[in-house]
Amino acid sequence: MLRLEDNEFLTRTRPGTPMGDLFRQYWIPALLTEELPENDCPPVRVKLLSERLVALRDSSGRYGLIDEFCAHRGVSLWFGRNEEDGLRCPYHGWKYDVTGQCVEVPSEPEESGFCAKIKLTSYPLVEIGDVLWTHMGDPERRPPLPEWEFALVPPEQTFTSKRWQESNWLQALEGGIDSSHVSWLHSSGLQSDPLFKGARGNLYNLRDRRPFFEVVESDGGLFIGARREAEEGHYYWRITPWVMPSLTMIPPRGDHPVHGHFWVPIDDENCWVYSYDYHPTRPLTEEELAAMRSGHGIHCEYVSGTYRPLQNKDNDYLMDREAQKGGETYSGVKGIAMQDASLQESMGPVVDRTKENLVSTDNGIIMARRRLKKAALALRDNGETPPGVDPAHHRVRSASVVLPKEQSFIDASGEALSVVEGTGHSTV
Amino acid sequence: MERRPTLLHSCALAATAAEARFRIDRPNSKTRDSRIVALDEEAAAILERIRREPWQGARFLTYQGPEDPAAEGPDAVLMTLEGTETRLSEELEGADVAIMVATTDRGAEGASIIGDACFLRRIMTAGLVVGDGAKIDQAITSLRPYASVLVVSSDEDYVPDMLVALRA
Repeated sequence: MLRLEDNEFLTRTRPGTPMGDLFRQYWIPALLTEELPENDCPPVRVKLLSERLVALRDSSGRYGLIDEFCAHRGVSLWFGRNEEDGLRCPYHGWKYDVTGQCVEVPSEPEESGFCAKIKLTSYPLVEIGDVLWTHMGDPERRPPLPEWEFALVPPEQTFTSKRWQESNWLQALEGGIDSSHVSWLHSSGLQSDPLFKGARGNLYNLRDRRPFFEVVESDGGLFIGARREAEEGHYYWRITPWVMPSLTMIPPRGDHPVHGHFWVPIDDENCWVYSYDYHPTRPLTEEELAAMRSGHGIHCEYVSGTYRPLQNKDNDYLMDREAQKGGETYSGVKGIAMQDASLQESMGPVVDRTKENLVSTDNGIIMARRRLKKAALALRDNGETPPGVDPAHHRVRSASVVLPKEQSFIDASGEALSVVEGTGHSTV
Repeated sequence: MERRPTLLHSCALAATAAEARFRIDRPNSKTRDSRIVALDEEAAAILERIRREPWQGARFLTYQGPEDPAAEGPDAVLMTLEGTETRLSEELEGADVAIMVATTDRGAEGASIIGDACFLRRIMTAGLVVGDGAKIDQAITSLRPYASVLVVSSDEDYVPDMLVALRA
């Protein structure tokens, strides 16, 4: 249960809100690189943290993320002409560069210098891996670029997709922290999904549906260990890192690519879910890429030409009661991503946490909320840089390991939970 | 014939903000019986600092020692924070959850007795270790076999936050 004022505190990310200010300390995903595929390509509307922006790639290949609306009469620059190193408003020809600086006002004499007085808000847009990242906070406090392993491995070893989720970002993130639902909601996927099936660890997952949990603070967020019975005298541990503000890493299964999510607020009632798969030591195979592109694993199918899932609230997520009854899927919804999204969206745009009844196994969620609130207050009251800003906090890994019962997962998995270039994940 | 929803609330569109207003606004749970047991002196001091908050039926106790070994099943002597002696077996009557709070390894004995007693009664257990560094390593090891959920927090403020979240 969360008090009403705390629910408001944690879910609102508009400018000027404590959580909005917190998010603006980090580099966050703004778009996929595929959305701006070439110089002078069409601009893209982007809404992030309740700010309406437009992204562009100019004639010289520079990226920019600027206020969506022309400073003259408020026209959306999405209608603009992207040409000759700038985005020109089609209404009266005002032109802006990637920094938001107005570089031409055709109606005014060039010598007047009028256009120098016009500048739209802009944010940096930096390509790392498959993602264009932005920092929407104070440039004076701009941190070093992010160092997430999934974005730094060679291009042939990584794949990232994104989907629109019609809910507040926090209830989506909390689904990524709560690993106890996997043995239920995704039970069929463990046995059939090409990006999950076949791992020995799946057997432990399916045999023991009441895992024990350990929640331990890390420098950047949390490690959440879920342990299940394995062979005699041993536990099977699945260790999920959460790095602030909203990145979760799913523990690996066998030699499958490793995956995770970055949950990014669009506004208070919608979020983008960036879903990545990568392998630290080998290229992804054609079969794996084909499976990811066709919506398997943690990815989804789309309404053509959009990032909206094909299964969405307008069609009841293509609920299949026969598949639910027959056990083909546990919830009746196909695919791991949409099994999660359908239930998280069903809670309403911003779930009312005053009505929830958490149990002890929800301590990962409880601790995450507490760390977010504490960091937001420390930033607001004392200007403290929050956990997860330092790139050193990004260099963590998920792991799945079998350990003797007496061993602590943190102690025994120490190295397995850090990025070591050129080595694979610890996985079962 | 394809079935189509006829009203907003009869399909997934009921998740809109407008429809969410119609969620029934009455309590959906009864008061839980939570037992919060300090396993060592520092843990008792933490509970002492928070016990006067407006809890929903939580009982705050400290572990004193094992009950007569001849007793049937695992049992222990506990003390309420008001100073009244009581028995673990009595406290677990009707309890929904037992939360053990520790700051050192001195609570190992209490954790094993409480954990076993809860296991026999199918009562959920949670362990909360407050502190950091090597000092708490043994506390974690001691609690691990007996807690379905084990949380390590560097900050004692997590104790009341967790109890509020669990409606204790």
